[in-house]
Amino acid sequence: RGLRRCLMSMNLHRVEESFRGIKTAIQAKDTFQNVTILSPSETLHGTQPLDVCCVTKNLLAFYVDRVFKDHQELSPQIMRKISSLANSFLYMQKTLQQCQKLCHCRQEATNATRIIHDNYDQLEVRSAAIKALGELDVFLAWIDKHHGGTSAA
Amino acid sequence: VPCVSGDLSKPTNVTFISINMKNILQWNPPEGLQGVEVSYTVQYFIYGQKKWLNKSECRNISRTYCDLSAETSDYEHQYYAKVKAMWGTNCSKWAETGRFYPFLETQIGPPEVALTTDEKSISIVLTAPKKWKKSPEESSISMQQIYSNLKYNVSIYNTRSNRTWSQCVTNHTLVFSWLEPATLYCVLVESFVPGPPRLTQPSERQCVSTLEDQTTALEVK
Repeated sequence: RGLRRCLMSMNLHRVEESFRGIKTAIQAKDTFQNVTILSPSETLHGTQPLDVCCVTKNLLAFYVDRVFKDHQELSPQIMRKISSLANSFLYMQKTLQQCQKLCHCRQEATNATRIIHDNYDQLEVRSAAIKALGELDVFLAWIDKHHGGTSAA
Repeated sequence: VPCVSGDLSKPTNVTFISINMKNILQWNPPEGLQGVEVSYTVQYFIYGQKKWLNKSECRNISRTYCDLSAETSDYEHQYYAKVKAMWGTNCSKWAETGRFYPFLETQIGPPEVALTTDEKSISIVLTAPKKWKKSPEESSISMQQIYSNLKYNVSIYNTRSNRTWSQCVTNHTLVFSWLEPATLYCVLVESFVPGPPRLTQPSERQCVSTLEDQTTALEVK
């Protein structure tokens, strides 16, 4: 069963739509423009096909176990969108569990994940969560690119 | 010349207009200063880097746009830009864009469209739009290379019956068959990438007539 069989054929457009609903507000709260969490040129750009599953799994866990938990939101509308995002991420995690056997974690994938966690730890936790949330479009674009886009809407 | 910051209201609607990665920053003059000799200065910032950078060609300019394509050409990075207005010894605070992500926000321009006809069909050959490039000598990059899932929405309109068909394709050649002979058809094509919605730009409308039906032409002789 190749990795392609278990690729996430979920509706990424709905996830992207949820993010678009909070992008401006969340990114406006991120006042540290000189640091990034995902640092895509070090972590995501040029991901090898062999590492896609592991990086996806690790980043989904990063958002579910840290970012969504650490973020505190006052606006009910934004909170609803973030909950929708979190549920989508939980669904993607479950989908990926189908291919546990294929999800080898090579050193490259582990290093990329560690850079992201280190970046996150450099900042005060609320600021880190805001920044990571504001960079979701980068991760979603990466998923879209590496998981062959999505099924029809 | 240093100016007193904040005495002037800020430029408004500061935004990137991006088509095929040609990224133009544009803005409106400050409220109440339309028509006044105001000048502007632009800076840009690469998200994650250390400091704001000047764009020398956009210092003390009177126009309300600035081409930042070269500065934002790495489309997988994200950017900010800001502009301030100056008038005499007064200047405004900076007016800043939101975070600009060319990869997700650039408009995909229309493809080139070549049409050939025969009696009852029209063949369409599409050429993907080209990414903006710094100089003509630079090799061209097709937007297809950036967006492997680039698709086209092809519409064909029968000017006699006023009927329109549309078809979404990924390949670059298609044939519309079973058309009426000696009829003018007009074709419009739009490029798009599945994913976050983007503004689109349809191609120029091109019209071509199918040929006379040769069988009836022979009978007439």
